[in-house]
Amino acid sequence: MDQIIKTTGLTKRAKDRVLAENIQLDVYKGEIYGLLGKNGAGKTTIMKMLVGMTTPSSGEIALFGKSFNEHSKSLLRRVGSLIEYPTFYEHLTAMENLQLHCEYLGYYDEQGIKHVLDLVQLKGIENKKVKEFSLGMKQRLGLARAMVAKPELIILDEPTNGLDPIGIKDIRDLILVLNKEYGITFLLSSHILGEMEQVVDRIGVIEQGRLIKQVALEEIRKQHTDYIELLTTDAKRTVYLLEDQLGISNMKLVQGDRIRIYDLTYTQQQISRMLIEHNIGLEEIQKRNSSLEDYFYKLIHGGGSHD
Amino acid sequence: MIKYMRLEWRKLDRLNVWIELSIYFIIMMFLPTFFINVVLPEYGQSFTQAIELNSYIQMGIVLFGGSLINHVFIEQYKNKTMALSFGYPISRKTLFTAKILFIAAAVFAASIISFILSGLSTYVINLFAPFIEGPLSAADVIQYAGTMLTRSLLITVISFVPLFLFGIWKRAVVPTIVCSIGSMQLPNFSSFLHVHPETVVAVLAVLGAVSLTASILTAEKLGEV
Repeated sequence: MDQIIKTTGLTKRAKDRVLAENIQLDVYKGEIYGLLGKNGAGKTTIMKMLVGMTTPSSGEIALFGKSFNEHSKSLLRRVGSLIEYPTFYEHLTAMENLQLHCEYLGYYDEQGIKHVLDLVQLKGIENKKVKEFSLGMKQRLGLARAMVAKPELIILDEPTNGLDPIGIKDIRDLILVLNKEYGITFLLSSHILGEMEQVVDRIGVIEQGRLIKQVALEEIRKQHTDYIELLTTDAKRTVYLLEDQLGISNMKLVQGDRIRIYDLTYTQQQISRMLIEHNIGLEEIQKRNSSLEDYFYKLIHGGGSHD
Repeated sequence: MIKYMRLEWRKLDRLNVWIELSIYFIIMMFLPTFFINVVLPEYGQSFTQAIELNSYIQMGIVLFGGSLINHVFIEQYKNKTMALSFGYPISRKTLFTAKILFIAAAVFAASIISFILSGLSTYVINLFAPFIEGPLSAADVIQYAGTMLTRSLLITVISFVPLFLFGIWKRAVVPTIVCSIGSMQLPNFSSFLHVHPETVVAVLAVLGAVSLTASILTAEKLGEV
């Protein structure tokens, strides 16, 4: 499988701080790769290095199998990106901004620009000045700019920032369409995990500037299938009874009073019966799927807190 | 390179630049008349002397250069469109060279136009209300054309004096403008320094050349957003 992005020992230091350290990132052709991490973890710094916005302190980047540095920036003709806050020449119109962008990339297709504005639902306001745009509209225009020159790789940093729920769904669907129908590879970052879960094929977890794990979403789903979540009148005593009566130790207390049981040796009926026998009021019990959020939480917090 | 220079022009709020430039032109058109009539009547003894006076007055275009440094470098750093430009498939060195050449072309053109307009306006006003003694000779016109070309080149280079330190390194608007004002005014105070004004102009031109060269050479390092 072709590697679209490969980084080796990629490091960025600024003054005394290490923003990204020894990043070994692999993104393959046709996949949607998600970078996950808390705010300030280093996701944006990595993306900035990948598009030449900032220079690595050390390490190497290969894009499309070729070494990428200040002297090989022509590779960026094949990359579209939206990093951090969508910045524009505010006194220019949406159309003028896209035209300017296209000129830098050597891409001349007026109809293509109109088509991409249509895709992000900015049709009809292409002649409006960007300074009159809302954050959501700027975000859409930023996405249009990332896509307009028909890139093979699109790098999007928090692509749904500032969008309303319908806008978020539109962008998610658009990413999936561009990926499935046009084979465009995506590198995304987000801390809205539920949203990420719906689009990415693989994730890389960033913690304090380090890439601590790269894993396929499919793999996470296999590893973290189901759990039983229950809400009782006395969470502490329930935990005690589950351990004492049923020998269950693989569980987690969430949101203060909800218990998640990952050990599925016992059925919901067996657990319910045991709790009722011990006079525990059972308000809610159901089987659920472990989400990416759980996986991410456990990874960041050192292997989980199933106790 | 011409394409990238043209793109720098398209990035600007062009209406504001035109308005600013028009103000410079209007002021410059009447300054020689004002100075000869009100401040320095000795420069009205001949057209040769009036031409010499005008060559110093036109140094005011250096301020336009400072303003362009602000628009093309500092503002773009501050509103983060510089980072956007770094994400394009051109090296920072090429980008900075294009920006510098664009400023140079704009300042040179503005200076030439300003020389022409101020020359014509001074000549016409002098026709109706004479304040310069003697007739305008062909030699004066040739001298004026020569001064216009050489002085415009010097003004262009001098306008880059604040670029490296205040434009790219410190990215500070006020020091850039203050530096431009200082550069355009310094030759007028050369007598206090006990040097010939042309020596000051030459030193400023060297500083401008050093500044723009350093800006291009360190584009990759200091240009970091």
